[in-house]
Amino acid sequence: MAALLLRSTTGGFRCLTKGPAFVSTTTTTLSSNPGFGLLTKLRRSYSTTTLSQDLLNKRVQVYQSTSHDPYLNLSIEHHLLQHSHPDSYVLFLYINDPCVVIGRNQNPWLEVNLPALQEAEDIKLVRRRSGGGTVFHDHGNVNWSVICPPAVFDRDRHAEMVVRALKDLGITTAKVNERHDIVIAGDGRGNGKDVFKVSGSAYKLTRLRSLHHGTCLLNSPRLKNIGKFLRSPGEPYIKARGVESVRSPIRNVDIDTEEFNKRVVDEFLAMYEEQFGEDVKVERVGEEVKDMGNIRKGMDELTSIPWIYGQTPQFTFSSRPTEDDPRERPSLDLDVQSDFNIEFTLRHGEIQTANVSGLKYEGPTMDEDFYDGMVSQALAQGSDDESAVKLYEINDWATALKSATSGQAFKMSDSSLNSISGWLNKVFPGNHFR
Amino acid sequence: MKNMLLRQSSRAVGRQELWRLRRRGLSRLAPTATATTTPSTTLSHTHPLPANLRSSALAQQSSTRRQFHATRELQLVKPVLLADIGEGIVECEVIQWFVEPGARVEEFSRLCEVQSDKASVEITSRFAGVVKKLYYDAGEMAKVGKPFVDIDIEGGPENKEVEALTPPEPVSTPEGQQASKGEAISTSTPQAIAPELEQAFIEAPWAQETPALSHSPVTKQTGKHASLATPAVRHLAKGLNVDITEIPGTGKDGRVLKEDVYKFVQARDSASTPSPSAATPTLPGVSAAAAAASAFSSPDATISGPQTEITVPLTRTQEMMFKSMTRSLTIPHFLYADEVDFTSLVELRARLNKVLSKSGLPEGQVKKLSYLPFVIKAVSMALYKYPVLNARVDLVSNTNGKPSLVMRSQHNIGVAMDTPSGLLVPVVKNVGSLNILSIAAELARLQSLAVAGKLSPQDMSGGTITVSNIGSIGGTYLSPVIVEKEVAILGIGRMRTVPAFSTVPGEEDKILRRQICNFSWSADHRVIDGATMARAADVVRTIVEEPDVMVMHLR
Repeated sequence: MAALLLRSTTGGFRCLTKGPAFVSTTTTTLSSNPGFGLLTKLRRSYSTTTLSQDLLNKRVQVYQSTSHDPYLNLSIEHHLLQHSHPDSYVLFLYINDPCVVIGRNQNPWLEVNLPALQEAEDIKLVRRRSGGGTVFHDHGNVNWSVICPPAVFDRDRHAEMVVRALKDLGITTAKVNERHDIVIAGDGRGNGKDVFKVSGSAYKLTRLRSLHHGTCLLNSPRLKNIGKFLRSPGEPYIKARGVESVRSPIRNVDIDTEEFNKRVVDEFLAMYEEQFGEDVKVERVGEEVKDMGNIRKGMDELTSIPWIYGQTPQFTFSSRPTEDDPRERPSLDLDVQSDFNIEFTLRHGEIQTANVSGLKYEGPTMDEDFYDGMVSQALAQGSDDESAVKLYEINDWATALKSATSGQAFKMSDSSLNSISGWLNKVFPGNHFR
Repeated sequence: MKNMLLRQSSRAVGRQELWRLRRRGLSRLAPTATATTTPSTTLSHTHPLPANLRSSALAQQSSTRRQFHATRELQLVKPVLLADIGEGIVECEVIQWFVEPGARVEEFSRLCEVQSDKASVEITSRFAGVVKKLYYDAGEMAKVGKPFVDIDIEGGPENKEVEALTPPEPVSTPEGQQASKGEAISTSTPQAIAPELEQAFIEAPWAQETPALSHSPVTKQTGKHASLATPAVRHLAKGLNVDITEIPGTGKDGRVLKEDVYKFVQARDSASTPSPSAATPTLPGVSAAAAAASAFSSPDATISGPQTEITVPLTRTQEMMFKSMTRSLTIPHFLYADEVDFTSLVELRARLNKVLSKSGLPEGQVKKLSYLPFVIKAVSMALYKYPVLNARVDLVSNTNGKPSLVMRSQHNIGVAMDTPSGLLVPVVKNVGSLNILSIAAELARLQSLAVAGKLSPQDMSGGTITVSNIGSIGGTYLSPVIVEKEVAILGIGRMRTVPAFSTVPGEEDKILRRQICNFSWSADHRVIDGATMARAADVVRTIVEEPDVMVMHLR
């Protein structure tokens, strides 16, 4: 209902706010002939493209994805980044199937609730190529991506562009905050004062091009669950390098995605089309380009397990406070000795060092320290070469721990084994693709 | 961002501003005393300048005006600094390397990808060459402005530009080499050294021990760079009949410095009878010597291999300096900097030097004037108007325990000089009663004594205000440290030619060449307020800009 109401009012607003909306915005608008000229371009021409190099050499390009495959969309975006003409301005809009997207250098075990993800079954895990924090995408979230020459790159420039689009649609309290995110006050239309984040940004800067992409929460049905997916059970135990996500309260803007897309395209072209004097069509891209060499390569990389899990910088995992990580740990209810401790250091998702103590064993002579040492060694074996134990390949810790003591005269007591592996399976649940 | 810096450089910059700019890592206005001396001899009192950043800013600039020299084949391994990636970011994480040691890179080929908060940035190479060393592993934090990769550059890049890439080492221009003549300077602030030197003379027996002492703590580095020395030092060694390979070097990488040569000569000739006057030259003002001796960074500067640390205890001189410097900083300084138009002075000096060279002069009179006597005289004239700058703060002798100002009648202006034995601040006494020629003569006399190491305690004591001409080495703005028992100090920067608009009414659009020099005053804010300093500095500036004013005051 609210959505319908909104549509009619924006219909009314269109004529009235176009002019002032342009005048009141920040100085990044290049167009000197705003407003009514664009009314005639409400009907844009759309065509389906095969991403030819000719197209990529145009000064101003606009693409909209027809696919919801996050890996494909990111690969298309990457292809645009690498192959569009260095002086061109490119806008790409896409919507993804439900997925959790982590930043280039983040730690999935720290940022994502992997067991919940696996339970949900239809939610993908994606690592993107730009930096920044972890976000959740679904059909109610539009991703916008702008590629421009480094000379004009500015973190706020295109965020302001999206803010103008939102304001056009009646979200009057939208603005860009100091972290270059887009926030609204209350429901965006003047009710309520609390600030909510509706869009986060990330950047990738190469020598020739600058990419700025961001999300926009329009009408996600899963809003309440997002938090659940982004809180990891391993978080109290893991200390990582790399970028940490910054949490903010979020809400839906509550507008239709197609409307939003149209507005963003309008604002983008208002910035650049007049300046470069072309008649820009909105190109549709989708599954057809899946077989293009670069895009196929990109997708293969993005879907590979070593990329998603293995591109994690060094981190430590410890069940007790250590010098590096002195935080209090939540108490574990495990069947173990009182001096129980597990510590790993991991690099690229592989165990480099392991230190296990306090497990319970059944066996002839009780030399627990020695047994602990053997388990540690088994886990950290081959840490320098190909046979290193990869976290993301351990689908069941019970098996992994058992094999660490296989062929030995001793073995872990079953209850101990089960309780420990139950816990470890939550923190390091193998890889998502079974 | 750059506009802001340019605008600020054209007005007096407060100390606060400098701190803020420097913290943002983008300041070009921070004291440019390139005082990054060897670890064991860091005596600088200027704020540790991230000169790397300055040179990286230069590096960014120079790419647009680089010329390719095909004639010079120069094999150089240069550490490449991580350029500023914007947004005030000072460090970022290395995500992945695209090269490894031994890999060939072309200009613009990707070196690595780094990430800072939300941005992941690809860093590309500015040179063609072979990668020699990676300073960081993937996953480590790389610091902006510090080296992150070593590249063996092939071809002949301009030496200047290549220097812009390297971390700066103690630098002085060839002019600075002639420390024995003309304006003598030092890269570290000299003023705080003076009280320490006074103390040295009070403790004369101590001074006699120094020849023995100075040998022991210094680690003899006759490593692979045993014969590493600048041409000036080699020349000196030759002149003194010393084999340079026998001399242990105390400079960077075991370089032989002027001071090392003198020490060696002394040790060789006679270690048994040190005279009191030998006290001065044996005081190793090492940082100054180090700075003066190395004229330019040698191509062999970078050593591959792990970081080694050698602990060297401070020498007696360094301890004294340490103490006096610490005392000096109990004085709350404020910095007042200004630009002075030297154009008229330049013309006047040229004319006067012509006159001097023609006339037959009696022995002992200078044949050529430098700018320093004019500036010293101008300072003295300003002191007549603002005698508080010539005073000193007295905390102890007042009976009711309150601090007081002790006004002094004579203007004894200390002049910082760079000598082979280090930094010295001899004093030109009673400048008020001297004219320019006699000031110049006195300067010359003090200079020759300083070089010979024969300055007397009278020459060194009694200073009421100090002038330091750091500009003959380099630098624009500085933040000099006030000497104990004084309340003000003037640092003179380098003179440079700039375009400026004419002030002739009616021709306001005309652009003229002007010679500009920056005066940086520091004053004791407990007793001097900004207005007084500003007015006094203005008097000095007026006199220097319009030296004919002095004619009016001729007696």
